[in-house]
Amino acid sequence: MEYQENIRLAIRGLIDHKFRSFLTMLGIIFGVASVITMLSIGEGAKRQAIAKYQDLGVNNIIVREKKLSDEELEEVRAKFSPGLSLLDASVIKEIVPGVIRTASQSEINSEAKYTDKSVKSTIIGITPDYAEMLNYKTAKGNFITDDHNKRALKVCVLGAGVANTLFRNEDPIGKMIKVEDQWLEVVGVLKSKTLFTETVGELAARDLNTDVYVPLATFLSRFSHENILTSQIQQITIQVESSNRLEEDSKLIDGILKRHHFNNEDYNIVVPYELLQQEEKERQIYNFLLGAIAAISLLVGGIGIMNIMLATVMERTREIGIRRAIGARKSDIMSQFVTEAVAISITGGIIGVILGVSLSLTVSLFTDITTYIQPYSIFIAFGFSVLVGISFGYLPAKNAANLKPIDSIRYE
Amino acid sequence: MLIEIKSLSKNYVMGEVEVPALIDINVHIKQNEYVAIMGPSGSGKSTFMNILGCLDTPTTGQYIFNKTDVSSLSDDALSAMRNKEIGFIFQNFNLLPRLNALQNVELPLVYSGIKSEERRERALRALDRVGLSDRIHHKSSEMSGGQRQRVAIARALVTNPGILLADEPTGALDSKTGDEIMVLFDELHREGNTIILITHEQEIANYAHRTIHIKDGMIHSDKANSPR
Repeated sequence: MEYQENIRLAIRGLIDHKFRSFLTMLGIIFGVASVITMLSIGEGAKRQAIAKYQDLGVNNIIVREKKLSDEELEEVRAKFSPGLSLLDASVIKEIVPGVIRTASQSEINSEAKYTDKSVKSTIIGITPDYAEMLNYKTAKGNFITDDHNKRALKVCVLGAGVANTLFRNEDPIGKMIKVEDQWLEVVGVLKSKTLFTETVGELAARDLNTDVYVPLATFLSRFSHENILTSQIQQITIQVESSNRLEEDSKLIDGILKRHHFNNEDYNIVVPYELLQQEEKERQIYNFLLGAIAAISLLVGGIGIMNIMLATVMERTREIGIRRAIGARKSDIMSQFVTEAVAISITGGIIGVILGVSLSLTVSLFTDITTYIQPYSIFIAFGFSVLVGISFGYLPAKNAANLKPIDSIRYE
Repeated sequence: MLIEIKSLSKNYVMGEVEVPALIDINVHIKQNEYVAIMGPSGSGKSTFMNILGCLDTPTTGQYIFNKTDVSSLSDDALSAMRNKEIGFIFQNFNLLPRLNALQNVELPLVYSGIKSEERRERALRALDRVGLSDRIHHKSSEMSGGQRQRVAIARALVTNPGILLADEPTGALDSKTGDEIMVLFDELHREGNTIILITHEQEIANYAHRTIHIKDGMIHSDKANSPR
């Protein structure tokens, strides 16, 4: 018997028993839909995390001043630690192998003013490398240059948010803004950055779009408060040549800083890549759980198919007997019933894929959960449903094939 | 010789006792014979018919069909025998209710792997032979008993089998329709078919040319009918 005949037969069977077929499929439909939805939620979370860490640079090690109270700071200073300094940065660059470059940054929280408008912002002194290391792109004008820094020019680059607030309908380039008691010329505006909504390691969540960047030299001469408790710089970003240097180098850096700061731990070392991996590991457990739930629902769907199929075989004993009497082999009956189970699970699978895709689109549309449907997840879910059909259709089909023709033809 | 049955016995196991259903049966049936097998219920005639139809196998003895020893065949080979050599006609027709007349008649050809155009052609020819050309798209629920039995006969004929095996073919029909069916069997016999008819009605058995009586699992008598 040709397989086309079986397929035709199976499809006819589905159409003849629409409601029963639908009920049988229900388990598969929900199973497949939940596999796709859950995988898309997991994948969405992963992509969001990667994007977040990419902003910090996956080959970067970030050394950041620890937030300490004034009393604690006094104690640290009394123990001879000067806090993070440019010297730390240049020593790291000299000594630690595999370091490509370092960028130091110094910051104060202040306000940026233009005409009668003002906006709270973080003023950050940086070196030109910074843009490249952290993947900053300008929307207008240019980033801080070496020349700006060498000559300690009074120029600045605005975060997208600052530019929007101060220069609603104007081109900011070439305009002068006032920070503290200094006038700065705007030379560039950054593209909008994704918001940090959560803390990354020891890095506090903040909105990068409210930053104002100035050359480090300018910052140190114009904005530094002559206060013993304030460190010279607040952060050193260190780029290494590849991610497998990260672990070793961050240990080395920790050793150097400990020595320079006389064992005062007034800094934190953050390795975004390691945090990413750690987060990934945690998410793996979560994803595994989601996957297990989805797999269980598929399994239940399969049992549903088996249940109905077993009942169908009983109900169709007479039909099987007739088919056997006119020449159907055991294998013909077997493949007829397996094909039927597979047809049910494929149809259920297709409906499940459609439901799953729409469900995950709905989730990302109406909640803050980001979802991403990977094409392979559709194939996995679909393939799994076919597998369920075959394996759970097997037993009923075997029962059907093993019925004795003489008994079954007389079955009422 | 088309069929040779040599000292064939069939025992059924009921719990722990073996119950003999057929005891030492010896029968020869030639090509184009028209044989009626008669006997009261419980006589073993159904068992005999099942063995003849390759639905069941004997416990001992030999069943040789067209030089093939059926007793030694595998399940698949028995299926092939039923498909190609035996045309079953049942008392209750045994059509598949979801299929129409044409599809029912095509079914044995599906299992012999014949392509759909040829299947259709042969099925149409068989339906034409039994006078149902105008009913090919009707399902069995839309047909009378006589029409259903004609579809079943067409299904039996479609593979050009070695024998037609009819089990009480008129048992579910009124006498007028039954007579029509018996006339059809007569015609089929004249066209060269070998027919084995199982019945408990003498009137029906009279249509055949030879009658074998089975009683208590043994052949009670085997003689030619006087021509009508």
